Amino acid sequence: MDIQRIAVLVGKDARLGATNFMAVYVLVMPVIISLLIALVFGDLLAKTPRLGIYDPDVSEKFTRPLLDHPSINTTIYDSDAALQSAVRRGSEELGLSLPAGFAAALEDDSAEIDFTAYRWGEASGRNLLLLESALARAMTEGIGTSFDQLPVTVNAEQIGAANTQTWSQRLLPLLLIMAIVLGGLFFPAASLLDEKKNRTLVALTSTPTSLLDVYLSKTLIGFILSGIMGTIILLINSAFAGQVALLLLVIALGGLMSSAFGIILGSVSKDMDTFLGIIKAVGILLYAPGILKIFPQVPEWIGRLFPTYYLMNPLLEVSQNGAGFAEIALDIAVLALISVALLVLLNSVIGRQQQKLALET
Amino acid sequence: MLSVENLTYTYPEGTEAVRGVDFAIEQGEIFGFLGPSGAGKSTTQKVLIRLLRGFQGQITVLGKPLNEWDDSYYEQVGVAFELPNHYQKLTALENLSLFRTLYSGDTRDPAELLEMVGLAADADTRLSQFSKGMQMRLNFVRALIHQPDLLFLDEPTTGLDPVNGQKIKEILRQQKEEGRTIFLTTHDMTVADQICDRVAFIVDGEITLIDSPRNLRLQHGQRRVRVEYHQDGTSSPAQHAEFPLDGLADSDHFLNILRTNRIETIHTQEATLEDIFIQTTGRSLT
Repeated sequence: MDIQRIAVLVGKDARLGATNFMAVYVLVMPVIISLLIALVFGDLLAKTPRLGIYDPDVSEKFTRPLLDHPSINTTIYDSDAALQSAVRRGSEELGLSLPAGFAAALEDDSAEIDFTAYRWGEASGRNLLLLESALARAMTEGIGTSFDQLPVTVNAEQIGAANTQTWSQRLLPLLLIMAIVLGGLFFPAASLLDEKKNRTLVALTSTPTSLLDVYLSKTLIGFILSGIMGTIILLINSAFAGQVALLLLVIALGGLMSSAFGIILGSVSKDMDTFLGIIKAVGILLYAPGILKIFPQVPEWIGRLFPTYYLMNPLLEVSQNGAGFAEIALDIAVLALISVALLVLLNSVIGRQQQKLALET
Repeated sequence: MLSVENLTYTYPEGTEAVRGVDFAIEQGEIFGFLGPSGAGKSTTQKVLIRLLRGFQGQITVLGKPLNEWDDSYYEQVGVAFELPNHYQKLTALENLSLFRTLYSGDTRDPAELLEMVGLAADADTRLSQFSKGMQMRLNFVRALIHQPDLLFLDEPTTGLDPVNGQKIKEILRQQKEEGRTIFLTTHDMTVADQICDRVAFIVDGEITLIDSPRNLRLQHGQRRVRVEYHQDGTSSPAQHAEFPLDGLADSDHFLNILRTNRIETIHTQEATLEDIFIQTTGRSLT
């Protein structure tokens, strides 16, 4: 293995791949679909967290920082009923109904502060998190003491169906699989098939470049693309949240699994038509966990039968439910095992390719 | 430089393509490996360039057993295949520059190599727009880019017009003068005759004969001279006569023909390599 040669080959593949229609199509499609979904279902244009306040006492000291907050869209309502109606419609993601005497209670350090918060059932976790932290800061500034010492009672009330997922949330698993798996899989396979078709593979291996160098360079480029694509899709879908290091670890393992699978497919396929035929046949197995996620009524265990579940699930758990390492450790272990198994298989495929290369030249 | 002893290679499906082949090549020699399709010449070359592993016999290249070489073998060995194998979306210059970066030793300037085979004007043209002949010339110079000690060339003049074919032969002679050793696989007897120091005939996986083209011609040709002439200097139909080379100066008949007739041609009757091949192997080259 020679790092310098691998770097040269990665550069060459990146350049040639940029003109490969199929590879570009596979990379661009998930991004376009993500943007379309975000546009159609509103997440892209309505990313600012929405807060509604009913404040009969005009507690300027508390509401002013929220009205002036650059990252929150705050609206004042005339009545509690109007506020509830706005939250029910989804116009506001969080509604604060402040009781009479709220302003005075803020001034009096010893007074109990009691108010109601209406939460829209379909509000995104990320936006709720932002709103809650803005509220905490506004209250701290209003009273002049730290939030955890405040004598505050919040009566949280959910409006609308609980755990309802938006369409962009439902489609995110499928998009993630498309981006990470296809991004990582397609490029190494297409690039290797091109080398076989033009007999450049044998030309390369008749230089000090080994077949392992060639395979590693293609796997590496698939791995990088997979990582970039996974991150982009998470960002577009506002899901690059939670523990970023964990997300990156899962994306990296998913990228390794996908690119190793891609280079193996490219190696065993006779030509591009055969490869596309295989993808058509096994594609449903790759997408299955993402498709099943669209229908929440389908039991979770069915998804677990498919390898890509162990890539998709931890990403969703971390980005949407704020899971930590302990909660997704099993998924990560399975994903790592699949990746290792594919790398072992790849090693044997390289040996066979060496023989095939000699026979086909 | 290269020695092969009792080389045998059997393909995985059981075909024995090379059977107990022996030969040795000296430094600075152009060695022609001649034979019809399926004779075992490509298999031998594939073994020698480490494409096919699992052979039987002893092969020593550049002073080291072939099995002990790693990928650094190709720092000293240049390979050109029978069919062009380039990146079609890259230009000629980009193709050579890419391959140049894969070697760790000194390399030649790609522009200079393109100039050498008459491709300088097409340096920035994509390979997809090259004719087969142009791609073959690029194939050939790519093998020279790292100035290897030993060259393996498979049919380097195939698909070339006579002018470019001649150019390649001149470059090969120049490489030989610079001390490089060349293993040339071909079924073109004319090319072999013109540039090879020695040739080996291989048929059915076995070498039947190894010698210099000149020796072969002398051994297998007739020591006779054939004269074609028009009688009495007229334009009458050409006649011919053959005379033994030995004692030719004392042949009155021969001298009389020269003195009294208009001579059309005079040729000694050496055999061509193709004649010798057919004569010794009982097989044709096609």
